[in-house]
Amino acid sequence: MKLTRIRIEQFRQFRQPLQIAGLDPGLNLFTGPNEAGKSTVVAAIRAAFFERHRSGSVDDLRPWGDASASPTVELDFETGGVAYRLSKSFLVRKRCTLISGAQQFDGADAEDRLADLLGFRHAGRGASAAEHWGIPGLLWIQQGTAHDIRDPVAHATDHLRTALNTSLGEVASSGGDAVTDEVEALRNELLTPANATPRGPYKDAIETEAGLAAEIAALDADIAAYRNKVDRLAALRREHEADDAQKPWLALRAQEQAARRKFDEARALGARLGDAQQRARRIDDTLALLHSQLERHGAEQNEVEQRRAALTAAEDRLVAAQATAQQWQRRSSDAAARHDAARQALNRTRQRDTRATLARQLDELTRRRDAARATLAQADTEAGRLRSARQQMAATELRSADLATLRAQQQDIRTLRLRQEAAATRVRFTLDDGRVIRIGEESLTGQGERLLTDATAVTLPGLGRLDITPGGADLADLGRQEAALRDRHAALLARLGVGSLDAAEARLHIYMQHQADAQTAEAALKARAPQGLDALRGELAMLEGRLAEAEQSLSRLIGEPDDDAALPSINEAESQEEAARASAADAAKQLAAADIAAANAQSAVDAARRELRNAQAMLDAPERAARLAAAQRALNEALAGRAAAAADIDALTAQCRDVRPDILEQDIRRFGGSAEQLERTASLRRDELTRLEVELQAAGAQGLDERRAERARDHARAVRRATELRHRAAALDHLLTSLKSHRSALTRRLQAPLQKHLDRYLQLLFPHANLDIDDQLVPGALKRTGAAGAEGGRFEEFSFGAREQMGVISRLAYADLLREAGRPTLIILDDALVHSDDERLARMKRVLFDAATRHQILLFTCHPENWRDMGVAARSLEALKAV
Amino acid sequence: MLKLLHTADWQIGKLYGQFEPDDAALLAEARFAAVERLAQLASVQGVHMVLVAGDVFDAQGVAERTIHRLFNCLRGYAGPWVMIPGNHDAALSESVWTRAARLGAIPPNVMVCLAPGVVQFDALRVAVLAAPLTQRITHSDLTSVFAATDTPAGFHRIGLAHGSVQGILADGIDSSNPIAAGRAAEARLDYLALGDWHGCRQVDARTWYSGTPETDRFRANDSGRALIVEIAAPGAEPVVTPVVTGQYRWFNERATLQVASDIDVLLERLAAFDRADVVQLMLDGETDLAGHARLRDALAQTQGRVRSLTADLSALRIAPTEDDIDALAADGYLGDVIDELRTLQGSGDGEAETARDALVLLAGLLRDRRGTNGAAS
Repeated sequence: MKLTRIRIEQFRQFRQPLQIAGLDPGLNLFTGPNEAGKSTVVAAIRAAFFERHRSGSVDDLRPWGDASASPTVELDFETGGVAYRLSKSFLVRKRCTLISGAQQFDGADAEDRLADLLGFRHAGRGASAAEHWGIPGLLWIQQGTAHDIRDPVAHATDHLRTALNTSLGEVASSGGDAVTDEVEALRNELLTPANATPRGPYKDAIETEAGLAAEIAALDADIAAYRNKVDRLAALRREHEADDAQKPWLALRAQEQAARRKFDEARALGARLGDAQQRARRIDDTLALLHSQLERHGAEQNEVEQRRAALTAAEDRLVAAQATAQQWQRRSSDAAARHDAARQALNRTRQRDTRATLARQLDELTRRRDAARATLAQADTEAGRLRSARQQMAATELRSADLATLRAQQQDIRTLRLRQEAAATRVRFTLDDGRVIRIGEESLTGQGERLLTDATAVTLPGLGRLDITPGGADLADLGRQEAALRDRHAALLARLGVGSLDAAEARLHIYMQHQADAQTAEAALKARAPQGLDALRGELAMLEGRLAEAEQSLSRLIGEPDDDAALPSINEAESQEEAARASAADAAKQLAAADIAAANAQSAVDAARRELRNAQAMLDAPERAARLAAAQRALNEALAGRAAAAADIDALTAQCRDVRPDILEQDIRRFGGSAEQLERTASLRRDELTRLEVELQAAGAQGLDERRAERARDHARAVRRATELRHRAAALDHLLTSLKSHRSALTRRLQAPLQKHLDRYLQLLFPHANLDIDDQLVPGALKRTGAAGAEGGRFEEFSFGAREQMGVISRLAYADLLREAGRPTLIILDDALVHSDDERLARMKRVLFDAATRHQILLFTCHPENWRDMGVAARSLEALKAV
Repeated sequence: MLKLLHTADWQIGKLYGQFEPDDAALLAEARFAAVERLAQLASVQGVHMVLVAGDVFDAQGVAERTIHRLFNCLRGYAGPWVMIPGNHDAALSESVWTRAARLGAIPPNVMVCLAPGVVQFDALRVAVLAAPLTQRITHSDLTSVFAATDTPAGFHRIGLAHGSVQGILADGIDSSNPIAAGRAAEARLDYLALGDWHGCRQVDARTWYSGTPETDRFRANDSGRALIVEIAAPGAEPVVTPVVTGQYRWFNERATLQVASDIDVLLERLAAFDRADVVQLMLDGETDLAGHARLRDALAQTQGRVRSLTADLSALRIAPTEDDIDALAADGYLGDVIDELRTLQGSGDGEAETARDALVLLAGLLRDRRGTNGAAS
């Protein structure tokens, strides 16, 4: 397919008509900066083909703001050797015509023809979308979509497949895929798609089979148990019958009885032995009793003799004690006599000493009385002197305070006098000799002076009188004070009984003398009688009393003062008396002790005599001899019995030893236990038989074998079913695998032409590289040898630039394939390959140039400098618009 | 003249797992029916007694209902039934017989010999020497006491035993429960009625296996019979007449398909079977798809007609011809797949069968599709 002319009018930015004529059958290069209208031209071509002219969804085609516009596209093209002209107007003036030579198609008819011709579909409603675009959608690469290959290929798959089948001839299966799908569906009913494990009815069948097998196994176990029980029952019955016939425990019971009899005999023997032993023990007791009885008789005899000996000894002791007591009696009398003598001597000595003492006392007392008398006399004298001094003191007593008052008054009077004199009127006179004047009452001669304090009349004989009145203001007052003071002074003097201060002074002096006299007398008195006179007098009286008493005592001591000289000293006499008294007391004490000892000895003798008498009485008792004889007799009998018993014991012990009752007892246990064991076994067996019979009846009622047969029947069927399904699943699986692998091989064979075209371009882009095409005819894995050695990867994993490049070469390969199948091919590249580096772009230019030898290519770019080496002139859209 | 009915191996309670449930149920039911027919036969023939030589029940543990049913089936003949237990229903300490007795199921005219001994029928002047099995398996000859067992003079001596006569049956088959050959003569028996062998068989002039009255397996020859035994007088040689009692005939068919006409022959054979037949068919050889389809249709038809048909085609190979493939319109890679599957059938292992199945499946699918498409167009 070749476009030869494009005319656009009232279409987006092309309000004015734009015509591009004389398009080259190969490469056509359109340049222009952004917004120049490159994409608008592409849009116009797409709209002319894809959009229904009646479509209401193409508002975007009209120029902006021009509601009255009818976007119009006119295309001249040639395909399959036939020239066509397509005119399409949208919106306001909806029109479509397709003219081919003499033929003209209008409206939808024209559009449907167009779609068949180019291999696309129209949208049912609304604007055309990618899924409708078919071959043009694949070959017309919109801006920035070159890398996206999968969806456009999907939308063109039918055309591509048709092209492939056409190229290969009719070798593909007409219904192969449908059969494959059916097989897959059938297979997936039985097996899971992923793991091929059983599912659905197959799984059910397997489970049913397994369930029944398990039931059978359980029933088999039950049946085996049942059979074992049956066998057990048979065995038990045999044993039971054998036992019933033989009754083996009876023999054992008989043996047990025999053993028991023997044992009883042995036990009787043992009892007899016990009796003998007991008898021997009793005889032993009797023997012991008799022995002690005989011993007691002997002891009584001994006791009498002992008692007699004791009495003799007691009597001896009494005699000795009495002798001792007599001796002490004598000695005690002597000592008492000596004591009396010593005591009389002591008394005499004491009298002598008393008398001497009294004489000395008398002398002393006489002396002291005389002294006391003298002292008393002196003291009386001193006391009289003291008394007179004190009387005089009292008469002259003047207190120092009164004297001080007198002295102060005297002083004050003098002071007042002086003040009066100072204030008084001084009258100095010098009288001629002989002349006398009188001042007041005083007659004066010579010279002198007087002080006048009172109004005084100075009589000047002869001349008259002068009345002088001292003029001092307080002179009178002073005079009154002085007068008062003098009064008080005079009163005091009067009270004191003196005439003046001097007299008072003198009296005080006298008083002081008296006082000194009193003190002297007092001191003297004190010396004579420190306790006073009365004490002295008392002492004297006391002394006189004692003197009288001493004289009386002396007078009472008459005695014989003459033999005094023979007397020892008082101390000697006292110690002699003391010794004598102690000796006498000692002797008395010894005497008392001896008396007591004698009394004791007497009572001991009495007791011993009594005891002897008692013992003798017992010994002399009349029945004692008979008892003794009887005891002796009994003893002999007992000894004989003891010997007999010992013989019995020996004989019985020997018998017992031979019979072995312990072993007999064991025999009883052994035989009895065995019999019991057998009986119990038989009884248990009977029980088990009953139990087994009941169990077997119950189990038999279940019809185990028949149930097992039923299960086995069902199981066999389940096995058949599972086997059938297993075969079917295996067959389906196998079939599916086979179908898929053959289909895949076929696909590869079918895709060979496409691969061939792709390889042609791929070698130009990546020499020695290998790009697979998958089932969906989309590029898959790429393998190439680069600087880093062999590398590979999926299409989606490569860089945007590489994907864009491969997207372009894939499309060129599709174009080649479609062309070979006689389908129209027009390639439009809108700003493609902008992400390619210079080297890749250079290679892509070789690719595109090569493709342009077979296909018309419209290439729009805003980078004219990149495409200068394509061997064609670039058309500037701006230039075209300017035309 | 003494007239007996000799039968054995009723195998009551036996089920048939190898068949489809409906068929199996009918075959199990048939065993009861056979016993009813025996009773009827005994009545019609006017025999003096019926001898049942063991294996009355197929197992000890049958359901109570089964026990009752069996004894009810005997009602058609009021004369004496003399039975011995066989290896399947041996007289163990607890057995189907003790259960039957407990259930009160055994009618008074049925004598079950649970212990070796003689059952005397004074009126008939018959002494039956019974050798019942009291264990599941014995390795001693239970009939060895027969010779030493005295019977009243002038009485018929009839032996009744269950086991395998030594030396006449294939070695290894039922070698347990042995019975010495020539026992009848040795023990002065007028007739020795045996059970255990399911086919009807004469051992010597006085010794017979009656076989089972209703066939229960494919390999039992001459089964489905009972024997009418007539003895003119004690010591006289018995006259034995087999009578067919079985309802179903069992066939074990094999066929090898080599050429196209083999199918035709096989189909004729299949067409000969009728509703009383139980058929087991094993095929090998090879056929084309068309032949396989015909075979399949024929098998389906036969299955609808006979009591039971079990076909084993696992050894049969399918060899599609060009015509087959054309007929299936198996173009493109489907053709390749068919080729491959056909080739794989030749391999020795299990893949061959799988490939055959796959091929049949694929052919079926394609035929269905063609049918659908053809109908559509």
